[in-house]
Amino acid sequence: MSMIDIPTSGKASASSELGRSLEASSGRIFSRKSRLSFYNRTFRIICIASAVFVCMILFSILFLMGRTGILTFDTVSVKDFFLSTEWVPENDQYGAFIFIFGTFALTLLTMAISVPLSVIIAIFLSEMTPGWLKTALRPVLDLLVGIPSVVYGFLGLTVLIPMLRTVTGTNMGDGILAAAIVLTIMVLPTISRITDDSIVAVPKKYRDASYALGATRFQTILKVVLPAARSGIMYAVILGMAHAIGETMAVVMVIGNTPQLADALFKPTSVLTSNIVMQIANVPFDSTWNDALYLMGFILLVISLLMIVIVRLIQGRGVKA
Amino acid sequence: MSKVTTAANQFAARRGFNQIANRLFTGIVWLIGICTIVFICGLLFLILKKGLPELDWSFLYGLPSEMEEGGGIGPLIFNSFYVLVISLVISIPLGMAAGIYLAEFAPATKFIAFIRICVEGLASVPSIIFGLFGIALFVEALDIGLTIIGGAVSLAFLNLPVLTRVTEESIKAVPKELKHASFALGSTHLQTIRRVLIPVALNGIITGICLTAGRAFGESAVIILTAGVSSSGEMWDFSLYSPGATLAVHLWYVQSEAIVPDAQLIAEKSAAVLVFVVLLINIVFRVPLWLNERKTR
Amino acid sequence: MKRKWLKGMALTLMALAVAFGTVSSAGAASKLSGRIVINGSSALLPLTLQAANEFKKLNPKVRISASAAGSITGPQSVRKGIADIGAVDWDASKDVPGFKKFDGQVAHKVAVIPFAAVVNSGVGVSGLTTSQLQGIFSGKITNWKDVGGSDADIIVVNRAFGSGTRVNFQMKALAGKDFMTKGSNYKEVKSSGDMKTAIETTPNAIGYIDLVYVTSKMKAVKINNVAPTEANVINGSYKVWGYGYYMTKEQPTGATKAFIDYVQSKKFQTGSLKKLKFIPISAMK
Repeated sequence: MSMIDIPTSGKASASSELGRSLEASSGRIFSRKSRLSFYNRTFRIICIASAVFVCMILFSILFLMGRTGILTFDTVSVKDFFLSTEWVPENDQYGAFIFIFGTFALTLLTMAISVPLSVIIAIFLSEMTPGWLKTALRPVLDLLVGIPSVVYGFLGLTVLIPMLRTVTGTNMGDGILAAAIVLTIMVLPTISRITDDSIVAVPKKYRDASYALGATRFQTILKVVLPAARSGIMYAVILGMAHAIGETMAVVMVIGNTPQLADALFKPTSVLTSNIVMQIANVPFDSTWNDALYLMGFILLVISLLMIVIVRLIQGRGVKA
Repeated sequence: MSKVTTAANQFAARRGFNQIANRLFTGIVWLIGICTIVFICGLLFLILKKGLPELDWSFLYGLPSEMEEGGGIGPLIFNSFYVLVISLVISIPLGMAAGIYLAEFAPATKFIAFIRICVEGLASVPSIIFGLFGIALFVEALDIGLTIIGGAVSLAFLNLPVLTRVTEESIKAVPKELKHASFALGSTHLQTIRRVLIPVALNGIITGICLTAGRAFGESAVIILTAGVSSSGEMWDFSLYSPGATLAVHLWYVQSEAIVPDAQLIAEKSAAVLVFVVLLINIVFRVPLWLNERKTR
Repeated sequence: MKRKWLKGMALTLMALAVAFGTVSSAGAASKLSGRIVINGSSALLPLTLQAANEFKKLNPKVRISASAAGSITGPQSVRKGIADIGAVDWDASKDVPGFKKFDGQVAHKVAVIPFAAVVNSGVGVSGLTTSQLQGIFSGKITNWKDVGGSDADIIVVNRAFGSGTRVNFQMKALAGKDFMTKGSNYKEVKSSGDMKTAIETTPNAIGYIDLVYVTSKMKAVKINNVAPTEANVINGSYKVWGYGYYMTKEQPTGATKAFIDYVQSKKFQTGSLKKLKFIPISAMK
């Protein structure tokens, strides 16, 4: 605790006072230089500790999910769990393939819709709109993030699905497309606002140089601004993807929650999150079923970690090229 | 498209085509931009139109009711802010410190790539899993029941990764020249971070805080599991050990289980209030930023 | 060590909170104090919250926190010791389809909950027999014309496994027959509210719900020619109902006992409970 206290109080204008008190207590002259280097070191340690703490949360969660989840394999074989499409826990059949597949399909579909859209919106916001519109629009976009997922789900259930039903003539409208549309709306502000910020952060001189070479605005944006903002955009995509993989409350209301393979856009199906949230509250604590749900939570984490690693690898290659 | 890219020097031949591509691109971006604005306005209108006109002080300040019409949301709004503030107080320093580490101190090794992936992975953890984690930590291990502090800390965990990464990205986006200039003046690393990097990166960091605060304000799954669905039933209950249902939880509850005859109306009004408050948070956080921007300009 | 410290802090804070909190409710005189944690069935949550509000007015020193996830969470939390009362839609001290009994727990009846099979208001069918319901919910009957309606696919909306409503409906309305688990016109929803919305907005849908949630925008069908009304439940002709229970670890004491007593008291049963459209337990013979 004391390590945290010293630099924060030192940050304030009372730093000289603190120096004097340290001087008095240690009995030797505390030069400004060593004091500064002391702050520097402490600050660095605090920063490292915070970063490690964030990691520790992830690992405790992984541990919690994994510890319970691994018990599933006492009664279910690994092959059955990952490859079987039969999820009938009442009859001790625990095949999670449908949910894993559903999660991938839903995330990819969501990203396919939302990333191009968000980037265009970000370009619109940062490069094309007049200043007054920017100041008005940015908070509005942020506002969308704050709408609770329950509200999105409710609107999906009462507005989107009936609309899909009349447009396509299907019986229900529930399914992976409805979920992807709801998710797109939910991640759109996240992706576009962060992209927007990173585009704004591209130094103006890059653009000036590009225009000076005779490039059009289209060329400047495509060839100069977007590549320069790539790290930020990549981060926005990852964050949006992570959000999409993990979203539960809204998805569960529009996806239909039926353990069958999502081989069509309009077919009630289920993904990892929706299945967990539907069932976790309703199964006995010490049953295989409960273990299997924890394992699915674990897998969900592993999948999102994998997707992040893959995106990072692709990005890394791009930088070298 | 690929033709355009090779056209760096052939102005004359390519000019016409470039102009067309440019126009087309501008047109598309404007079209999508305007469509989005219209869509967002429509969405907000859809949420606000039913609830906002019905709002009055007795609803905002009143106590919730299970069977009589006209119940209010007073304690729930209070809890929402209370939980949000506690969670931000915990997560902002931690998240920023971690972000600064990633951006400034961390050497570009595999270990750092690993930490970064961890942080991003944490961002993708579904909120329900944070809820389960919160139960394991606060309800089972510490045995404090369903409380505001449990909900707030679990929520802080949820906020952490986003804050960390936003801080990192914003600090990285600060032009190198500024940093070098600061070093050249003889500042230490800490001084540079405090006086140069953070002020310049503040815009991005505040965006991140707004996004986080908004998301946390509307979060329900974590709170249901760790802070309960009931409130203490009175205003200004600052006890950290009270049950801490927030407005978003109340909205969920009213929408999914409540029997009150005016449940639908309460849900609409609560949703409107939620959106309105998020707007408020955005404005309050940003006004000093705008002022600051004007000053530095 | 850490836990002791935390508990110490908790106590101090609680004492502080009580000191501040009593100002508003100094009028009521009751020496009862303690903490009650209630978890479990979400269908009983409105009742629990209402009772908690009234009880807190009478006993300002008792702190009640209630949450809800699913029926089974109730007795489980009680067994784990993280809740004092577990609300559940069936008698968890006995075996029911899908769930084993919880040994040693004491069940307290708190309310009678009637359930109704509901259809979208556009469906032309107003009554179904047990075997027709079995056929529909097991996926054997897939078209409304087979049960006397127009030619349209039946959309079956089900609650998730483990829902108290589902357990009761299965036992009482389907005579224990299993539900279907998949199909292109089948979906599951998470809560009574979602069920309500799904039935209201989906043409040709059928589902089931606690009678209190039935609105004018949906149609509750007669089962075996008996309409789902409170009167029919009380006179014994409508069979699809169940008790709502509070489970405790052993015979309750102190604040927990006082709270359960309050919920079972005549004042609450014929007052607020009835206003919430549950049926008092004393009405059933």
